[in-house]
Amino acid sequence: MTIFTCGTDFAEMMTCIYDAWASKLGHANVRLMLEPVEQTELFCDYIHVAPDEEKTGRVIRSIQQKISFEAYQWVYRAAMSCDKERLDTIYRFLIFGFAYGKDVLHMLSAQPVARMLELSRRVGNEAHFFREFARFDRAAGGVYVSHIEPKANVLTIVAAHFADRMPSEHWLLIDDGRRLAAAHPRDEAFYVTELAEEELEKLRETERQEDIYTHMWQEFFDTIGIEARRNPCCQRTLMPLWYRKHVTEFRQKQS
Amino acid sequence: MEITAQRSLQEKLHILADAAKYDVACTSSGVDRRGKKGYLGNSAACGICHSFASDGRCVSLLKILLTNHCIYDCKYCMNRVSNDIVREEFTPREICEITMEFYRRNYIEGLFLSSGVLRNPVYTMERICETLHLLRTVYRFNGYIHVKAIPGAPEELIARVGYLADRMSINLELPTEEGMKRLAPNKTHAAILRPMRMMTNTIAEHRLAIGKDARMERSTSNRYLQQSIFRNPHVEELHTATPSYIEGGKTVRAVVAENTVYGSNTAYGSPPEIQHRLEVPAAERRGFEQRPFATAGQSTQMIIGATQETDFHLLKTTQYLYQTYDLKRVFFSAYVPLNEDSVLPSPDTPVPLLREHRLYQADWLLRFYGFQADELLSTERPNFNEQLDPKCDWALRHLEQFPVEINTAPYDLLLRIPGVGPRSATRIIQARRYGKLDFSHLKKMGVVLKRAHYFILCQGQMMYKIPVEEEYITRQLVGSERTENWKIAHGDQSFHQMSLFDDFHIKAPGTEVQV
Repeated sequence: MTIFTCGTDFAEMMTCIYDAWASKLGHANVRLMLEPVEQTELFCDYIHVAPDEEKTGRVIRSIQQKISFEAYQWVYRAAMSCDKERLDTIYRFLIFGFAYGKDVLHMLSAQPVARMLELSRRVGNEAHFFREFARFDRAAGGVYVSHIEPKANVLTIVAAHFADRMPSEHWLLIDDGRRLAAAHPRDEAFYVTELAEEELEKLRETERQEDIYTHMWQEFFDTIGIEARRNPCCQRTLMPLWYRKHVTEFRQKQS
Repeated sequence: MEITAQRSLQEKLHILADAAKYDVACTSSGVDRRGKKGYLGNSAACGICHSFASDGRCVSLLKILLTNHCIYDCKYCMNRVSNDIVREEFTPREICEITMEFYRRNYIEGLFLSSGVLRNPVYTMERICETLHLLRTVYRFNGYIHVKAIPGAPEELIARVGYLADRMSINLELPTEEGMKRLAPNKTHAAILRPMRMMTNTIAEHRLAIGKDARMERSTSNRYLQQSIFRNPHVEELHTATPSYIEGGKTVRAVVAENTVYGSNTAYGSPPEIQHRLEVPAAERRGFEQRPFATAGQSTQMIIGATQETDFHLLKTTQYLYQTYDLKRVFFSAYVPLNEDSVLPSPDTPVPLLREHRLYQADWLLRFYGFQADELLSTERPNFNEQLDPKCDWALRHLEQFPVEINTAPYDLLLRIPGVGPRSATRIIQARRYGKLDFSHLKKMGVVLKRAHYFILCQGQMMYKIPVEEEYITRQLVGSERTENWKIAHGDQSFHQMSLFDDFHIKAPGTEVQV
């Protein structure tokens, strides 16, 4: 068994898929794994793959042309998930995909396809949750800053939504856990950048400040529930506690 | 004498959100609109909830009243004129400022503006119109707006508001004219249905003008369903389905006929007022008619539990509203006792939450599953089973159609299996072209086997060896649903171990928390 390993970047994963495929060792004889590899197995060769722009491009292009654009979206979303086996799942899915073409998305009785659907759906759902529950605060200079801590790496998916929603605002969407930020200058496209620890620490300040609008929102939120219908259980199902960490209305009131 | 006090914006928001919270609709769905440079906002057809309030209802829009002054005296309403409460009013600019800033912070998806009737319907509607115009033009807001039409407002104003908002709604309040007379003496069904009809016509006309079908888009599954309520409404069919208690016989006939053949009223001579569509005078059209008219359609809401209607009555009315007024949604509002009045149920009546839940379940069955109101209930069985959801209930009464073979059953039959929804049914149809399906596959596709396994076969086998008998399955299903139902009916009554420290605020020495 030969095991190809790589980092968690999308380009690295695509290159890894390319190399595993091009090795011609036979699909049954290769496995793909993400680094860090916690426990190595006996009788296995481990090959580290470094990212390569051209190979990445070729994989992306083949998926879009030989399968479909929707399949590429599945692959992208699955690659963003936090599942440890995601890279191998994508590889197994692509074996089916290149064999059957665009119909593969409907072949849910095949295990790798069903697994892919599950991964891509889970990431899609999480991205939707953050579209709903991301909260921006107004920082100095009229920049709107939001902190999120998603399990899957949904930053780019969520940022694309806000780029359409607030095209003429300066805003910054920060993934605190991964120290990534999507920055959007007014009337321009957004870009993703990594933040240093000190920068992040400084940006955390935005969450601690309060102004009239945060107060008004908290007031509104507390008012809008009907006491006779109180149902915290239902509220928790629809808005699980871990999503509430950075949400304005659930912040501890300071006064 | 009225005592006036300067209140802060936050206090005003508290008063006017508190007054608006009993309105049900808070959806931001039905329209897909991309963002524009220089404007703020977009809109997603699936709708985006932004938070969930302590009662578990979604908070999607900034739901406020323009004012809680009201000249009407609807018995059930907190803002009725005979109640002695704090009255307040927003200025249009205040509403715009709050909406814009809340929207930028991703607190809300848009504005839901309703109002008590201040002075008269005309003045109130003018203020609403002014607010929306300001928000759309000066503040350049491109997000979602849901607005309530005030019954009795002039057509021209309703038309203007329709061009600025995404969804219009006008509350039917109570499904019977008799109930209206008793509980909302200042409103009549005629005054509500007339603008509703005009909005329907105007929306249809705008849809035709841009090359769409006159009727609103519905879930795609309806295309494949023979019995769907949205499919080819024939005059006869509708006529028999029309509950005569809504309007006088003549009006109903006219409305139905007009609905089938939009514009040409040849079949029946309809009264001139409902042929009408809403128009803005030509001289003032700038800035209005560039926008489409109420793209997300219109909705309405009914109060349940305040009067004696049966579920059958309510569901028939709902179906009628979908078919003849082409409403996008009908909402139900469980009656919450706020006022004491001889004509109202007593103030200690429990809120009929489970009943509301069953009605919504049935509403979904009408809109997505191809059921008709007559199939779910009848005059002999006018109310829903408290213990079972309407779909299970239906399936148990029609066991002759089950069990269904998953690998061959048509789409409409798949949708009628409890535990299978439009999504999983579509997945089944697609997946079974490439291989035989098994129970493990179904589970991965999102079928709820807990309910479904009594009614399905995979390759000729049931999941467990069980008898397909009404009594047996009912017992099983009722048993597994009992906790769920109890939770819905008794939202907050949770029980816990009594603790001296938490319940009686006794502090153990030396554990004072420093704040």
